Amino acid sequence: MLTASLAHAQSLSPADIKSLLARIREHRASTPDVHASFQEQKTIHLMNKPLVSSGKIWFHAPNKFRREVTGNSPSMTVSNGRDLWIYYPNFKSAEHYTLGKHSPVDAVIAAINTALNLENVENTFHITGAKTGNGYDLRLLPRSPSTKRMFQQFDLRLNSDFAAEKTDMIQPGGDQIVTVYSNQTHAAIPESTFEFTPPAGTEVATPLGR
Amino acid sequence: MRTSDLIARFMAQRRALIWLGVAALAFVCIAILIARIEVDSDVINMLPSGFRSIDGLKIYDRDFEQTRELTFALHCQPQDVDKLEEFAPQFAENLRKQPWCERVLAGSPMETPEGVRDLQTIAVPLLLNLEPAAFDQTMATLQPEKIRERLHRMRLEIEAGSPRPQFELGLDPLGVIGPALKPFAEANAIEQEQPLTSPDRTLRIFLVVTNQSSLSAFECQRLMRQVNAFRAQANAGWDGGPLEVLVTGRSAYVSEISLSMRYDIVATLGSSVLLVGLVFFIGFRRWIPLLGMGFALLLSCLVALAVGLLVFGRLSMLAVGFCAILVGLGVDFAILIFGRYQQARIDGEDYQQAIATAVAKLGRAVFFGALTTAVGFLALVLSGSMGFSQLGVLIAIGIFFAGLFMCTILFLFIKPDQPPQQHDWVFEIVKKYVRWTVNRPGPMLVFSAILFLALSAIGFSPVPPLRFEASVRSLEPRNSRASQALQAIMAKMPTRWEPVLAIVRARNAQELHDDWQKVSAHWSELQKAGKLKGFTTPAALCLSPVWMEKNRQSLGKVDFQTIRTSLEQTLATEGFSRDSFSPAFKLLDELQSVANPTAPLPDWRKQLPKGAGWWFLVDRYFAKDPLLTTGFATTPEPVTMHVQSEQLGRELAVPDVPMILSGWSYTLADLQPWSHRQLLIISALMAIFDVSLLAVLYRDFRLWLLQVITLGFGLGAMMATMKLLNIHLNLLNVLSFRLVLAIGVDYGIYVVLVWQKTRELEHDVAGVIKPVILAGLTAVCGFGSLGWAHNPSLSGLGVACAIGIFWSLVATIFFTLPAMAAAKPKKWNESGPPESI
Repeated sequence: MLTASLAHAQSLSPADIKSLLARIREHRASTPDVHASFQEQKTIHLMNKPLVSSGKIWFHAPNKFRREVTGNSPSMTVSNGRDLWIYYPNFKSAEHYTLGKHSPVDAVIAAINTALNLENVENTFHITGAKTGNGYDLRLLPRSPSTKRMFQQFDLRLNSDFAAEKTDMIQPGGDQIVTVYSNQTHAAIPESTFEFTPPAGTEVATPLGR
Repeated sequence: MRTSDLIARFMAQRRALIWLGVAALAFVCIAILIARIEVDSDVINMLPSGFRSIDGLKIYDRDFEQTRELTFALHCQPQDVDKLEEFAPQFAENLRKQPWCERVLAGSPMETPEGVRDLQTIAVPLLLNLEPAAFDQTMATLQPEKIRERLHRMRLEIEAGSPRPQFELGLDPLGVIGPALKPFAEANAIEQEQPLTSPDRTLRIFLVVTNQSSLSAFECQRLMRQVNAFRAQANAGWDGGPLEVLVTGRSAYVSEISLSMRYDIVATLGSSVLLVGLVFFIGFRRWIPLLGMGFALLLSCLVALAVGLLVFGRLSMLAVGFCAILVGLGVDFAILIFGRYQQARIDGEDYQQAIATAVAKLGRAVFFGALTTAVGFLALVLSGSMGFSQLGVLIAIGIFFAGLFMCTILFLFIKPDQPPQQHDWVFEIVKKYVRWTVNRPGPMLVFSAILFLALSAIGFSPVPPLRFEASVRSLEPRNSRASQALQAIMAKMPTRWEPVLAIVRARNAQELHDDWQKVSAHWSELQKAGKLKGFTTPAALCLSPVWMEKNRQSLGKVDFQTIRTSLEQTLATEGFSRDSFSPAFKLLDELQSVANPTAPLPDWRKQLPKGAGWWFLVDRYFAKDPLLTTGFATTPEPVTMHVQSEQLGRELAVPDVPMILSGWSYTLADLQPWSHRQLLIISALMAIFDVSLLAVLYRDFRLWLLQVITLGFGLGAMMATMKLLNIHLNLLNVLSFRLVLAIGVDYGIYVVLVWQKTRELEHDVAGVIKPVILAGLTAVCGFGSLGWAHNPSLSGLGVACAIGIFWSLVATIFFTLPAMAAAKPKKWNESGPPESI
């Protein structure tokens, strides 16, 4: 869908993209906090049908976030930029990851950071884009092998306020994650939102030994 | 007829016959050399025998695959790290295409689909090898309700956004092979601590196993020529800034060391001959005798080499340094004999008579000089090091032949009708000094005594300490590219230190398995107690036929059809793709097939693909003989002290498990008492031999005491100089002390014996002091020229000996002579015999 819209919209030149990114950076600098609702559709090779989930996300530039999935399989993903916790209330269990060790969870951070922050993206991606109606469609293709290990392609739709409306991420194995954001606000978010302490009785695992 | 007269007659009247004999001897020696020459370039063989840690190093070096491993590293500028990451796969692919390359490891195999697939191929034998209770517990996860429960939870976790289930299901869809693959997971964890990429991402490591047929010096040189050709074009396709391609490893070292031997021989022998020749010419201003001296020394070297090859079979690279030392030592005899011959000619004696006089007057001193030097070098046999033993024996043989040839063959190069030297300014200066010292010994005695007392105080004082370098780097060749590459890699990588190796050899698979089970259990306790930082062992890879058979019987009771049906139903219920779970069904088929009691027990060695990156892990643990294995124990701190190695020896050991502890750091720490013993006990034994010999020779307490004090001063000044010049002792140059004792005592013997017997001070004392000075300077040059050697043990030994001999010479001339003149005064009388006072 994003590909089709890119083809029919008004293409942006490299200079336009550079200018757009500069404006986005300015905007982000003045509003480092983002709070939004999201709906996600995940198509992975392990499953026959896409998995659909929804919830809320809190983000503080450059790398702190909290993501709460609601529904039958609720979960809470919290990162303070150094650690990442995934908590499953139904199982009373949590996974703890340390970031920045080429861990697979770095992809999660990178995806959220790319979508909601767009900090430094021109150094890690080849970016093409187009102006569509009131917003912009950007296609990000990774430059470095380390980023290529996380994404094959990353499409991003921004509204007129430069807020992410939709992301479409294709991973190297062919898995695809489409996320739609709505109800975005930029009110200040308390620091405690990005800290997590497992509730008593929680079984904590450190997968992959990291 | 006296021997000296006989020699003189032969040299004067049977010159053709002597030439013929010399030619025959040279021919035989060269023939032996060509037919038998074989050089041992292994640095481990320079270490003493009789240490289990060294035996362990040799086993690890000889029998384990890592010896054929080369480490490549790409080092880029910080701004090029992304380019390096992109370039790395291309470089690895180019490496794989090289004809000398067998396997390449460019990253953790766990991070590649092939690596995961390869691991799954060996899951069954490792699963069967679990301890029976653990096996039963693992197989319980295949019960239908457990499968349903697990996959349901996995699906919920995937929905919740966890990355874990995808990785877990990709590697172990049934949840049964995880425990069996634990050793590989542990290895992956090690990779996190010892990564193949530096933290700043500017350096990437590639491990390569080569297909070289042997580790001989020539084979390593051949390989490294190919490697260097590859290295020269290895950055083709790189579009960033400067990119260094570093290579290190056993073959790189062997190649460099063996090539540096050629340089060492040429440089040390060449410079030694040049410097010694220069000193000889300054002393006597004669070219032909100089040529004769060189010829006699060369012949001595040839004879010693030939005898050495016949005795030892092959010679250590260290022994090649003997030529330079022999030149430095043997020239002493030439200078003494030729100096006395010249003296006799000046006195008007004819050619034959002058030869007889020179041999008669100094033959005894040459004999005892050769004896003390030979014994000094033969004492190297006590070092226990094959390299140093050979060096000692070769020099001992060479020095005896040098003494013999200088009393005989040297005269073939002296023309009978050549007039004696008319004006000898060196002799005049020496004569003036001797006259002044003999007449007024006080000032020089006081000055030299104060100087040597001060130096000895510094030398023997514990402050500043004479530092002992027990690091493996003290043995590495200088300016070695392999060494520089290793240092560059170590500097970029996280701080880590070498683990202690525990080598275990068993008679059969079951014994090997049982041994490692015991070791792992014991080391786990040590780790819990904080005595070990960590350890890895091949325990899980050592198959136990007993356990496997028992587990197979348990497997026979499993209803595989029910499991398959349950899995199919659960996948459908949870919405999983069946294709993604095909490895699970394959594993069930394999387990069912193995359950058949008539089927052979599976062996992971036969199932792991030849090109799998996991072989790098396997090769760390297993030698070519699969019953020879090693484990690795990482200590909380680096092993640098002997007390640590002793403690580890006690703590790591497991009753009833024969184990050799080794590793370079551990071995060097283990060798420290040996080095100290070399320095103290054996040097003391040497000193006792020397002082006893002196007592027999002099039969005079005061002269004997003076000589002993001189030796002490020489050693004290040597140590002081080493301290002040910041020259450290290492495992090998500690041997220099005994050599200095052996050579230093000679100078005393020459001077004291002459002093005791002389009736003409001018002829005899001044006549011997000049050759002693020249001999001392040539010995300093001979040993000092070893300083040019790339081999640090050789150059370190040479420099230490040169310093020691220099001070022994200075002590003899400026302390012994005035002290003798004071203790046993003789009146200087130019025209007649001296008068005792």
